[in-house]
Amino acid sequence: MAGIVVEPIVCGRPVRSLDRAPLVDVRGDLLGEVGTAPRLMAVGAVTRARRSADGTPVGHDLLLRAADLFATADLDGETPQEYERRVALAAGLPRVTVRNAVADIVRSLTHLPATTRAELPGTRLGDGYDTAWVPAGRLFTAVMASNHPAPNDSWLHALALGYSVLVRPGTREPFTARRLTLALLAAGLAEHRISYLPCERAVGEYLLEAADRGIVYGGSDAVRRWADSATVTTRGPGRSRVLLDRPLTDEVLDHLTVSAAHDGGTRCNNISLVLTTGDPRQVAAALAARFDALASPEVSAPDATLPVVDAARAEGLRRQLAGLTGGGAVVHTAAGADPLVRLPDGSHRPLPTVLSTDDPRHPAVGVELPFPFVVVAPWRRTDGTAALGDALVLNLLTDDADLRAAVVADPSVRKVTCGLTLPWDGAPGIPHEGNLSLFLLKSKGVVTTGARDHALA
Amino acid sequence: MNTMTTAAVASSPVETFDERLRRLLRWHFDPQTGSPFWLRQRGLLDFDPLRDIDTAADLVRFPDLTDQLRHVPVGDLIPRGLTGTGFRVYESGGTSGAPKRIVDRDYRRRLLSWAMQRLRAHHIADPAHWLHLGPSGPHVFAYDCARYAALGNGLFHTVDFDPRWVKKLVAAGEADTVKRYVRHLLDQAAEVLRSQPVKVLSTTPPLIEAICADPELHAAVERNVETIIWAGTSFSPESLRQVEEVFFPDTTIVGIYGNTLMGVAPQRPRLPDDRHLCVFEPYAEAVWIDLVDDDGAVVDYGQRGRVRLSLVSDEMFLPNVIERDTAVRVEPVGDATVDGLAEVGTVAEVGDVRVIEGVY
Repeated sequence: MAGIVVEPIVCGRPVRSLDRAPLVDVRGDLLGEVGTAPRLMAVGAVTRARRSADGTPVGHDLLLRAADLFATADLDGETPQEYERRVALAAGLPRVTVRNAVADIVRSLTHLPATTRAELPGTRLGDGYDTAWVPAGRLFTAVMASNHPAPNDSWLHALALGYSVLVRPGTREPFTARRLTLALLAAGLAEHRISYLPCERAVGEYLLEAADRGIVYGGSDAVRRWADSATVTTRGPGRSRVLLDRPLTDEVLDHLTVSAAHDGGTRCNNISLVLTTGDPRQVAAALAARFDALASPEVSAPDATLPVVDAARAEGLRRQLAGLTGGGAVVHTAAGADPLVRLPDGSHRPLPTVLSTDDPRHPAVGVELPFPFVVVAPWRRTDGTAALGDALVLNLLTDDADLRAAVVADPSVRKVTCGLTLPWDGAPGIPHEGNLSLFLLKSKGVVTTGARDHALA
Repeated sequence: MNTMTTAAVASSPVETFDERLRRLLRWHFDPQTGSPFWLRQRGLLDFDPLRDIDTAADLVRFPDLTDQLRHVPVGDLIPRGLTGTGFRVYESGGTSGAPKRIVDRDYRRRLLSWAMQRLRAHHIADPAHWLHLGPSGPHVFAYDCARYAALGNGLFHTVDFDPRWVKKLVAAGEADTVKRYVRHLLDQAAEVLRSQPVKVLSTTPPLIEAICADPELHAAVERNVETIIWAGTSFSPESLRQVEEVFFPDTTIVGIYGNTLMGVAPQRPRLPDDRHLCVFEPYAEAVWIDLVDDDGAVVDYGQRGRVRLSLVSDEMFLPNVIERDTAVRVEPVGDATVDGLAEVGTVAEVGDVRVIEGVY
């Protein structure tokens, strides 16, 4: 069969699976086919990985070589440009986003030692008193989504700290995890440390159950089962938001537009909600004018900046938006309540959309969609901080120091940015969503004082 | 003994399926011999089954009445011509609503004697003691396997397994309870294997997967069991290859396709030119299976179609049943007179576009 062929990789070795699934792109064209891993192949991968897993950290040199290969090399016939094109067509991601993500992953690998150092408390606690940070288990499972390549850095982190890794790639976008796997193996990673298993959701759940630690990305439906798990951490809808409590200047509008539309609105930390102490309609109208000016060539063009979706997802989005725009919500962007446009290549572009509502409890408040989509709703001080919470990032555009202190203290807000700071801005060790090193590692005391200062002596 | 068949249903050895069909239609629609169920139906049909049904292809004129098997008193299904006692009641899985019930006395014994010959063609362990790690209770799978074990002069070990409870737990998202229940099933099996010389294991694909995920139990099965018979749900081609080549390379693996209504269709021995790892062959004497497209036309060889079957025996008449299963149609080989079925799967759930939530 022509086109791209993706096969599972079990403990470093490609396996041709008899189970095949077509890979259809956003235009409705057959891009290639995926050999999928049934549960028994996953069972075999887990058994073999566990037998060999030794908890050894992966050297930073190897990771840097892998990062370089990932960004620049021809891997299994896939050039960096071809990788970009594949991700764009399979997941509908703009190519600029894919390039940004490659840079993100390279940066994340480069900073990994600094990130880990920053995430762990000091270990030298006096002469003869040390804390050892060791992997809390041996196997790590990553169940990825297809929205953005950058989150793949989480399983690289686990690998670096000593885990053997099983990755279930996104169904629509299996390419990033595969390319990283190939890059790591080409850089000299021991084969048993990595398995790449395109599979059904149920097999992904098995992989999470079978591992000692895991991460799962996806909508509420995909992550719900693991919400209270001690061994699986979840990355669900970010519902990132802005509190706008200052005059609406051009500078603020630029900031809001970039916060919502950078990477085509596909990041979990793109904002999807503006809570304003002013007039929601006025804010939404001004933001809509910026959104209406956003334009992009087709998704596979090198300078594409806005995403597209396939026909089925377009229909799903159309129905969802139809359900959200009633009940007092007003659409301010020019395309109106049905912003899905069929492009000549057969894909569908959800045009950037701004809604406003006077009701802070309107069902559209807190909805996050995979394109530039923002709801503007009112917030009054009497509403308290509850409406500001349940957010991956809360951006405070306010001078109210008491409010800032209150949201920093609120456990349902996972990151606070102040002023015209972009939601994804951070330095190594600044939590994106919690502290991955602490999740992956366990501390233990190592005391080597001998008989010195014996309490009973 | 009440296992006689009447003169009216005595069959000649060279009778074709169509000849048998015409003879058994006279039996099922004769007021003296037919069942109350079919005699009631006769008046509701817009054709005369004795005049208008000539060949297997005509059976599609019957409506699919299997939904009525969910509530009709099963005694009404017994043909009046079959006097006496000894009928058993079996139920279908009960995934979609109330289970369907059938009655059986001798048909299944004949069917299973034939099926055991088919299993022996794979050189299964025989004679051998069996462990059945599969549905029991009203489900027919356990009865079938008990019969195979008896035909092979073996003892038959069972576990308690209620698949409907598992389905309820799965539907409720109770994944952890499902895990514990499966563990409970595996523990029962491990206990039998610890002390009993079992050589045949009959079970389901999900339980084979669970055994393989438990290195200790897997080793115990590999050590003791010479033959694994699987049925109940399907294996994907790669799954089956994993079972045969990776997990149980020295064990004889035989699949059986089947369901409560039609009976069983064991895997036929593999041939050098086979394109599929596993091809099932139905019981030509009483079961007619077509694999059909959305318009009801039989698909070509090598194509996937939905299972449409008819069961024509002296005890049960179930024409034109549309199953949820699909399979690839395979040309008959050797002395087989009926098509084979490969890569059985269920009809894909018809597409509600799922709600998109978040950026995923």
